[in-house]
Amino acid sequence: MLSALDRKLFRDLWAVRGQVIAISCVLAGGIATYVMAASTLASLLETQSRMYREFRFPELFAGLKQAPLSVAARIAAVPGIAGVEARVVAPANIELADYGQPISGQVVGLPRGEGRFNLLHLHAGRLPEPTRDREAVVSDGFAKAHKLQPGFPLAVTINGRKQNLMVVGVASSPEFTYQLAPGSIVPDFKTYCILWMNAAPLEGSFNMTGAFNQVAASLERGARVEDAVQAVDTLLKPYGGLGAHGRKDQISHRFLAEEFKQLGILATMIPTVFLSVAGFLLNVVVGRLMATQRGQIATLKAFGYTTGAIVWHFLKFTAVIVTVGTLLGIAGGAWMGAGISRMYMDVYRFPYLDYRIAGSIVAVAFGVSLAAAGVGTLFSVLKAAGESPAVAMQPANPGRYRRSWLELPWFSQPSRMIVRNLQRRPVKSLLSIGGVAMATSMLIVGGFWGDAVDYMVFAQLRRAQLDDLTVTFFAPVSVRALHSVRSLPGVNHVEPLRNVSARFRFAHRTYRTALQGMEPEGELRRLLNTKLQRVELPPDGILLTDHLATMLGVKAGDQLTVELLEGSRAIRQVAVAGVVTEYIGVTAYMRRDSLNRFLREGDVVTGAYLAVDPPAMAELYNRLKRIPAVAGVAARAQALRSFYDTLAAQMLTFAFFNTLLASTIAIGVVYNTVRISLSERGRELASLRVLGYTRGEVSYILLGELTVLVFVAIPLGLVMGRGMAYFMAMSAQTELFRVPFVVEPSTYALAALVVALATAGSAFLVGRKINHLDLVEVLKARE
Amino acid sequence: MTKFYDMGEVRVHALRGVDLELYSGEMMVLLGPSGSGKSTLLNILGGLDRASGGSVLYRGFDITAANDRELTQYRRRHVGFVFQFYNLIPSLTALENVAAVTEIAENPMKPAEALELVGLTDRMHHFPSQLSGGQQQRVAIARAIAKRPSVLLCDEPTGALDSETGIVVLEAIDKVNRELGAATAVITHNADIAGMADRVVHMSNGGVSHVDLNEHRRSPKELHW
Repeated sequence: MLSALDRKLFRDLWAVRGQVIAISCVLAGGIATYVMAASTLASLLETQSRMYREFRFPELFAGLKQAPLSVAARIAAVPGIAGVEARVVAPANIELADYGQPISGQVVGLPRGEGRFNLLHLHAGRLPEPTRDREAVVSDGFAKAHKLQPGFPLAVTINGRKQNLMVVGVASSPEFTYQLAPGSIVPDFKTYCILWMNAAPLEGSFNMTGAFNQVAASLERGARVEDAVQAVDTLLKPYGGLGAHGRKDQISHRFLAEEFKQLGILATMIPTVFLSVAGFLLNVVVGRLMATQRGQIATLKAFGYTTGAIVWHFLKFTAVIVTVGTLLGIAGGAWMGAGISRMYMDVYRFPYLDYRIAGSIVAVAFGVSLAAAGVGTLFSVLKAAGESPAVAMQPANPGRYRRSWLELPWFSQPSRMIVRNLQRRPVKSLLSIGGVAMATSMLIVGGFWGDAVDYMVFAQLRRAQLDDLTVTFFAPVSVRALHSVRSLPGVNHVEPLRNVSARFRFAHRTYRTALQGMEPEGELRRLLNTKLQRVELPPDGILLTDHLATMLGVKAGDQLTVELLEGSRAIRQVAVAGVVTEYIGVTAYMRRDSLNRFLREGDVVTGAYLAVDPPAMAELYNRLKRIPAVAGVAARAQALRSFYDTLAAQMLTFAFFNTLLASTIAIGVVYNTVRISLSERGRELASLRVLGYTRGEVSYILLGELTVLVFVAIPLGLVMGRGMAYFMAMSAQTELFRVPFVVEPSTYALAALVVALATAGSAFLVGRKINHLDLVEVLKARE
Repeated sequence: MTKFYDMGEVRVHALRGVDLELYSGEMMVLLGPSGSGKSTLLNILGGLDRASGGSVLYRGFDITAANDRELTQYRRRHVGFVFQFYNLIPSLTALENVAAVTEIAENPMKPAEALELVGLTDRMHHFPSQLSGGQQQRVAIARAIAKRPSVLLCDEPTGALDSETGIVVLEAIDKVNRELGAATAVITHNADIAGMADRVVHMSNGGVSHVDLNEHRRSPKELHW
């Protein structure tokens, strides 16, 4: 049985349902952002760690030219190493019937007997029978992109020898969660594939019987990765070791880590801002809503209700609003979070996704909203309950007003009312301005990501990378080999490049990445400064991506220790000549001739940039991919598309949801501001109506005030938004990519427009209420 | 003229058939207990509410048939209101409260002039919060009469005041009635106030029970309660 007071509660809520909805929206917007981001991140991290555990992702990795299997046993004996698995991995070109373009990939040898690491998760079919040489399992991203199923034939060229294989299974593996072709930064499932086949036939095709070229290991509890890496490096050096490394340098793991770091920043900062804004607004709005209940509170006190009972009653009132808003927010956040997680699943080939919303996330959501609303309620109700009932039931004394320094002599009385009202309660006016400004700033933050991505793409693909195709070879080849490339039809210009992986050391900091040798006068690939102007390669010395220089703590003029991880494996001090601005990846650059001297090699290249006649592009692409020495061919347009398809799509989806939620908050704030003003001043406005003011004239007073507030709030919000965007850009710097701080005028305009529209919409709704002011009531009613 | 309200399933008859004329320059007091229908009558006369049956004519203009815009114009041009709780705009000074009405009226008096009529020249620049209840009510009267209304409607103008202050307020109403010649209706349930009227309309149970004519109006100074 509901008490009379509880029944009053529901009727009161129903009476202010417009505001309940608006407040719930503000709150739901904040909560949804938080739930979306936090649950996505937590689910991805949880999925990753569960997958690493279940499918035994190793802790140490090493690549080498070739070593007999006995060397693997010596690695197993290294102190700290718990288990070892050696295998052969071979580059391959793949042809699919019905798919014109050549496909590159890696063929991985499956262990004989039970595998120790990187267990396969079969999505369909089975593993190859131990005795069958022509069976293969394909990676699930590739299978999905080509709709491959067990039973499909594949033509695979390994080491120049073409063989026909049969797909028997589709699988994913923790080491290829983020599946990258050499030289690319986003997965392309159409043209890059991982294949698994039995070890024996692969070793046979690759001339590696009884040998291996990759080794993985797990560590004993407490063993240091660095020690194991050093020991393995020493052991493998005679066998052409390419440098052992821990998980943090494993390609797939590193990209995942970087992306999760980026997501983590998005997932903490944006919701923190949103949730604090929503909490703040909730506090303000609930406080003002309660202040309009002054008469009721006095009446209840006159009936003999204690202050405690009244506070409890109104706390229930806000609790209902908070619960509605929070539940809406959690539901919305879960829906968006699940959607975003699925989108991530398309890029990250997890075997499964553990999407769930942790209890802690729900607890934080409720905690923040209840605290914010509770405090707002408590203060206003205690203030109202503090008055003696007799005083509170009297008409409120006319508020104390003063002339304003803002008013001008020719102001009409309604204009004076607007100005004096604003000035009389500066805190309230400032809170309203603050609320609208924050909503505006959140719209800027939402739009900023789009601007940043556009600028990033523009800088990288229209200013820095002007090549049409980038060719990568499996191994260094003589520069003369490029003559044959140059003579292919459609090729206008070729610029050689030499890529080598290297470890950079400065003071105690080290970093492992690619060192690229380029032509000094190259036209197809330009190194740029922050203003996107060209930086010349010095004859000696090295240029670093700005982020790499920051990570290493070096500046121009410093001597950097460069350790080559291939070929000569030379270690040398190189002068840092300067930094270059790059938004994607981190790389070091030298002139190719200096790099080749450093490597003690002749005039060799590992790839080339090509300028191509557009009509000849498709044909040339196919011809290049058919050359056995070619490991990969990347097209600029394709890079642009892949980029948009993956990273940008993720960020932009996130940004889109944020914009949506920011708009919700903007609408909620503006509507509440003006709606509460109406409650507070309804009597005054109705009196003016009685005195002969038209609806329009009365609306002017209320909406004029709102307009002034919004006019001050919008520019303020634009400035605040710019500041927040800057802060986010600075926090979102990762090795994978940096977010340039760019806010386009259109973003400011859009934010201002959304707030202006929210204002117009609220004005329209409240204007309708003004039309229905009860004129008779005002003659008798007190506030 | 009749007025009923449909309150859910119950129909409440507020006015059961009132036939009344209000003359230019006349001072009429509407006397009656709570619920007798006097406020409803005043609201209808002032164009705030519509009659359910019959008609209300203002100089031949049927305000029962008027739309909202016409009613607003009627109130704006011809009607002065004085409320029980003054309903001054707290953000405007006494002078500005009056100006708020003169700015939208045709041929109004100067706001200062209206305040002089109610004896508040020296408090013109005070805000409502700086005025006593009686002073606030006199500002409200000045505001009501500054447009030179033909109809002045006062709903319990002394209801929230002590008798001494109430008399000062009634004096102001009396004075503007005499000097401006507005048809004035004052609602009260205080029978002592009836002495200042030309005509006293007694209301009960939604109708006029009887009408008294005073041979000569007493000055409010002579009243006491």
